[in-house]
Amino acid sequence: MSMRKYFEKTDKWVVTFRYPLEPLEPPKELRGKPEIDPDLCIGCGACAQACPPNAITVHTDYDEGLKKVRIFYGRCIYCGRCWEVCPEGAIKLTNFFEMATPNKEDLVYEVVLPLHRCPRCGNYLEFTERQVHRAYTLLTRLPEERRKELLERMFLCRDCRRQVFSLEEFKNRRRDKYVQASQTPF
Amino acid sequence: MSKPLKPRFRSVWVFHVDASACNGCDIEVLDVLTPFYDVERFGVKLVPTPRQADALLVSGSVNRQVVIGLKRVYEAMPPKPRIVAAIGACAIAGGIFYDSLAVYGGVDKILPVHIYIPGCPPRPEAILFGLGQLLGLVNQKIAPRTIYATMGVRDRVYGVLSNERLYKDLRYYLTRYVGYYDREYILEDMLKIINSAKTLAELREKIIDRASKIRDPRLREVYSIAGGFIVEKIREEIRTVQTKR
Repeated sequence: MSMRKYFEKTDKWVVTFRYPLEPLEPPKELRGKPEIDPDLCIGCGACAQACPPNAITVHTDYDEGLKKVRIFYGRCIYCGRCWEVCPEGAIKLTNFFEMATPNKEDLVYEVVLPLHRCPRCGNYLEFTERQVHRAYTLLTRLPEERRKELLERMFLCRDCRRQVFSLEEFKNRRRDKYVQASQTPF
Repeated sequence: MSKPLKPRFRSVWVFHVDASACNGCDIEVLDVLTPFYDVERFGVKLVPTPRQADALLVSGSVNRQVVIGLKRVYEAMPPKPRIVAAIGACAIAGGIFYDSLAVYGGVDKILPVHIYIPGCPPRPEAILFGLGQLLGLVNQKIAPRTIYATMGVRDRVYGVLSNERLYKDLRYYLTRYVGYYDREYILEDMLKIINSAKTLAELREKIIDRASKIRDPRLREVYSIAGGFIVEKIREEIRTVQTKR
């Protein structure tokens, strides 16, 4: 058998892998394209704060009442800080890497969340509905009297809060035990 | 995978330009030329001068020093295909140097770019995919996406770890021992154990039981250490709640 025929018959000596012609299963621990789970994201913007190259940005649209969390994969360096910092575990790095494209616009991923609306004046606030809900769930650890006080004000916007609660009332509350205790952030 | 297209180019000779890269992308480009990844089977060949080249592989955020050279390289290429491939996050949009005043941030601000290959650095497979797309061997896989989240909220359930601080403490504690990837499934498993137990003694027993079944001695160690940590933390939490009342 000639050398050439031997090489043709066996795959043993073929080093080159046939990737672009055949599909490839990337390793599970590969840090690839980050994706946001739209069911879990609350739009707090912690990922945008942590992102070193500002690949993740948060845009607030007060006219339509929407908050947009946008990832631009072109600038992403796959460090995984957004994953680490996300309080809800919403953002995760998948193992997808085949992102080459002739158009830059293809590299944009966006999650749109509704903003919270003040029930008194009807203006949109800078928080999403889910952020307010999240704050509400944190309140469950407080004693009930304090919680009721906070619940009155929680859903209002800043201006409405000032109008509803006068300064005198605020001074009276300062003398209260609970308020003194809650000087430290909970 | 969709059906491969008909090749657009037969053989593309490339010239590699380092436009102030950190050499990460350059090393990956070198990898692509080795026999294991072997782009030469598609006719892609590295040439020593832009006068012979059909395509430029540009890596790095383009800084002010390198712009003149980059333009001259582009003009030295033969006029017909003049393909430019931007490799890496820096070449696409500046990467982490995007707001530096020494940097233009992206090849597309200087030259027309035909293909963007993201990654920091891109894997050799990613570069192969990009070049394959340029040659017409594979189809594009990514598309822009906007997702409108519904009004409802899905609450996360921590079970016994209703205090979120405890959950995060355990998460960071595990990171210290097993790193970011392995942490996730160990944490999931431990949460199941914690939620199934009703008392602290039962929890301790269950964790010891689980650890004894694992063959890998490193993983067993992690289970026992992290289990001890979380039992101690829960005990502290219970104590503080009792004293408050």
